[in-house]
Amino acid sequence: MDATTVLAEINGNIATVGYGLAAIGPAIGVGIVVGKTIEGVARQPELAGRLQVLMWIGIAFTEALAFIGIATYFIFV
Amino acid sequence: MTTAPRDPADRTPTSNPVLRRALVWGGAIAAAIAVVGGILGFAFAGPEGLVSALLGTLLAVVFMGITGASILLANRFAGSDLFVGAFFGIVLGGWLLKFIVFIVLVVLLRGVDWLDPVVLFLSIVAGVIGSLVVDVLVVARSRLPYASDAHLPPPPSDD
Repeated sequence: MDATTVLAEINGNIATVGYGLAAIGPAIGVGIVVGKTIEGVARQPELAGRLQVLMWIGIAFTEALAFIGIATYFIFV
Repeated sequence: MTTAPRDPADRTPTSNPVLRRALVWGGAIAAAIAVVGGILGFAFAGPEGLVSALLGTLLAVVFMGITGASILLANRFAGSDLFVGAFFGIVLGGWLLKFIVFIVLVVLLRGVDWLDPVVLFLSIVAGVIGSLVVDVLVVARSRLPYASDAHLPPPPSDD
């Protein structure tokens, strides 16, 4: 069976792929934000409070797109 | 607002007041967005629009607020040997749980006839953006000591 036939057999909503992408992107982003925070706190534990706030604002921005991406389920038919 | 000088033995991270303030202001801005969104939703989509706007704003602000709330919860373990593990376990576990619950809610709410999907989507976007704006404003206006165990003079009273 060649690739064209396989692709022709696939059915469903292509927007579903978008929900997966909406989860992967922010997951990588939050992973980087948190990993760098761990690194920073390990180097300078007395900066923990400051780094936590920066981490929190970084997570907030990263996850915002995930929320909007997943919420598009409501409008994509 | 003046704060009492910190106890030198106090190991609580200095981020707590900032996060708490962000949660309070996030709730306030959510109420404002819910009122405006509810009026617009009712005007454009009737009772379903009103319910959708209220629900969408609630979802956005609760789910955006969980990050800050989980950090506040995790900071209760400050000073214990398990702090680093507990902190990232609670914050990242909360993040994962939040997204699973959000995806399940979105799937459950998709087909119901008492919601208007477009109003719901737009109010979620408005709630997320409003929450981000509040977060940025609170952080920009916050006064964080450079180190958690440093003693600073009292903050200015205009805050």
